[in-house]
Amino acid sequence: MLKKWMKIGLVSVMTSLSAGIGIAEAAGVLTIGRREDSSTFDPIKTAQNIDFWVFSNVYDVLVRVDKTGTRLEPGLAESWAVSDDGLTYTFKMRDAKFSDGSPITAEDAAFSLIRIRDNEGSLWSDSYKVIDTAEAADPKTLVIRLASPSAPFLSTLAMPGASIISKAGIESLGEETYAESPIASGAFVVKEWRRGDRVILEKNPNFWEADRVSLDGVEWISVPDDNTRMLNVQAGQLDAAIFVPFSRVEELKKDPNLTVHLDTSTREDHLLINHSHGDLGKKEAREALDYAIDKKAVVDTVTFGLGDVANSFVPKGALYYYADNLQRPYDPEKAKELLTVAGVSNLTLDYLVNAGNEVDEQIAVLLQQQLRKVGITVNLQKMDPSQTWDMLVAGDYDLSVMYWTNDILDPDQKTTFVVGHDANMNYMTRYENDRVKDLVAAARLEMDPAKREQMYIDIQKMAKDDVHWIDLYYSPYINVSRKNIENFYQNPLGRFFLEDTVKN
Amino acid sequence: MSVSATRFSVSTSLNRWFGQHLSLAIGAGMLAFFIIMAIAAPLIAPYDPVVQMADARLQPPSLSHPFGTDNFGRDILSRVIWGTRIDLQIAFIGVVFPFIIGTMLGTIAGFFGGLVDTVFMRIVDIILAFPFLVLMLSIIAILGPGLTSFYIAMALVGWVSYARLVRAQILVLKNSDYAVAAVSLGFSRMRIMFRHLLPNAIAGSLVFVMSDAVLVLLNGAAISYLGLGVQPPAAEWGIMVAEGQPFVTTAWWITFFPGLSIVFLAFAFSLLGDALGDLLGVHE
Repeated sequence: MLKKWMKIGLVSVMTSLSAGIGIAEAAGVLTIGRREDSSTFDPIKTAQNIDFWVFSNVYDVLVRVDKTGTRLEPGLAESWAVSDDGLTYTFKMRDAKFSDGSPITAEDAAFSLIRIRDNEGSLWSDSYKVIDTAEAADPKTLVIRLASPSAPFLSTLAMPGASIISKAGIESLGEETYAESPIASGAFVVKEWRRGDRVILEKNPNFWEADRVSLDGVEWISVPDDNTRMLNVQAGQLDAAIFVPFSRVEELKKDPNLTVHLDTSTREDHLLINHSHGDLGKKEAREALDYAIDKKAVVDTVTFGLGDVANSFVPKGALYYYADNLQRPYDPEKAKELLTVAGVSNLTLDYLVNAGNEVDEQIAVLLQQQLRKVGITVNLQKMDPSQTWDMLVAGDYDLSVMYWTNDILDPDQKTTFVVGHDANMNYMTRYENDRVKDLVAAARLEMDPAKREQMYIDIQKMAKDDVHWIDLYYSPYINVSRKNIENFYQNPLGRFFLEDTVKN
Repeated sequence: MSVSATRFSVSTSLNRWFGQHLSLAIGAGMLAFFIIMAIAAPLIAPYDPVVQMADARLQPPSLSHPFGTDNFGRDILSRVIWGTRIDLQIAFIGVVFPFIIGTMLGTIAGFFGGLVDTVFMRIVDIILAFPFLVLMLSIIAILGPGLTSFYIAMALVGWVSYARLVRAQILVLKNSDYAVAAVSLGFSRMRIMFRHLLPNAIAGSLVFVMSDAVLVLLNGAAISYLGLGVQPPAAEWGIMVAEGQPFVTTAWWITFFPGLSIVFLAFAFSLLGDALGDLLGVHE
């Protein structure tokens, strides 16, 4: 029995090693190691970063987010105009071609947008319900009419889910074939996809910005084990690797062959509180939790000082982030007082942990210790990640740590999800505040940026005051590349600008 | 085998005895060492095993922390010492219940034969048809993570080996002269089964207990490694290895010392099993 298991272990080690070894490639092909493989190339059927981050180099969108992650810039739409009532958007399409050589028309764009709204398999239809009609006035002119004014609308067009796909292509190939080997509108085309192993991209000669692309190709290689992936880059078997663990940054920085990239991200890690569970419904009890948690210690221990203590659900550096938002200091005495005031004693909480997630497990052990100091007993429940999500949805938890990275630059998406009283019970917290709910809805319609900013500041203040959840920390994207790789960069929304990357 | 009738001096015979039973001596010595460590844990552990010292994180082995510290600044030596308690408990409870259940059912099946035997042995076949670890994991998944679930799963799955061993022995012994004699003397079935047959049939199981303890220990560590056994912040060797894995290239001591402890304890059980087999004349 034992021998058998050892053999299995050995075989899996060998295969993961050999996956790393067969990587020596022709010059001009960038190999990037990541934790897992893509799941699809159908842009509307995934919500995973792992897929989105590849999409943005295979597909182009109407409107792009720039390198700073805070401004929109033209993509396949050369320019656009908005009617005075904010309901009609007219886009002028650029002269561009799909990878099969056919022109990208307004009809393809209209088709792609209607598809993400109406397709049964679309995970994003709610975000695009605001589109009433999308039509091609002529091959170069796209007219979109909205059901109501929407401030975040333009930025939703930049989301990888709204990538422009070929109408004729998907109709002739069928959805399933297209999801395996799509017709590209972006810088690279999918040459081969070895499922579970790697995605092989090669330069798309028909890309409208083909001059900008220096690489001959890109390989996204799945190397699940963090240690192995780092060793592969150190040994030169990979040109770059993403998802560098916090614990490895110091050591990798010392390697003269490597560059460690700490790129600003929109990632925020937070502690979910189930407001519907007994004492956690009391604001004082939630405040006590906030005072009892030493976020600085979390930043130091878990992120090795690479993160920043968070004070708002809107990530630092993102649009309308309120830097002066309340930051409850670490104060165990005050926490105890608040618990007494609330009449809460012997609080025992179930803390749901994603088993196998290094960062989650470390935060859990830390918080358990910190909360014990104010007399709160925390039972850690390690569960398989597939189970934890269902338990969060069912409300079968008291505390749990999750994270979020923004998909669009407008704060509306996350705000709606987190405090907008949407279908998901405010990210499973069961938080309820009608004033916040109304303000979120109003902010979506407000077209004046100054007024809108004030509304988001108010939302952040009110949510913080209610302790809707506990903001823990912001952290950067951490990637590593060999010294001969230039311009390997990820913007705050996660987009890699591989069209600018150079391999010397 | 011929028995020598010559008398040796005490020291020569002791030497000889140890020469023959070296593995017994070493195995027992190592096990005793671990047991003492477990009992004396509060006295000999230099630090509290769960207390986190933020300013002493990831320190390599030194005089103040002989085994170093982990990423929370917890003393590895203290955690290894306290972990002995849990791991010995895992090895003990994880073996005792399967042993008792398996021996009882094996005896009954072997003695009565017929339908009883068929039913019990088909159950054994069914359980053996599943991969051991998969069955364990699914039982624990149903019962929820934790050591109690692990013990229950062990008891439900582990007894089959003992049942097979004992049954095979009983099948042979129940036709032996003394068993037939006991029957003709009119002794009750219970008495024949448990007073006459079982003591003679159990030697093989006793030896197997030791090698099984190794497997149980490794299983317990594996289950904890997967997050389904001992829950943090408790110090258990398997969980310590798991927690140290992200740091294996930068802070080897977090995984090395608990890993080494698992190896040593498993080694002690193996040696004891070997020696016991020799003593009782059982050859696996």
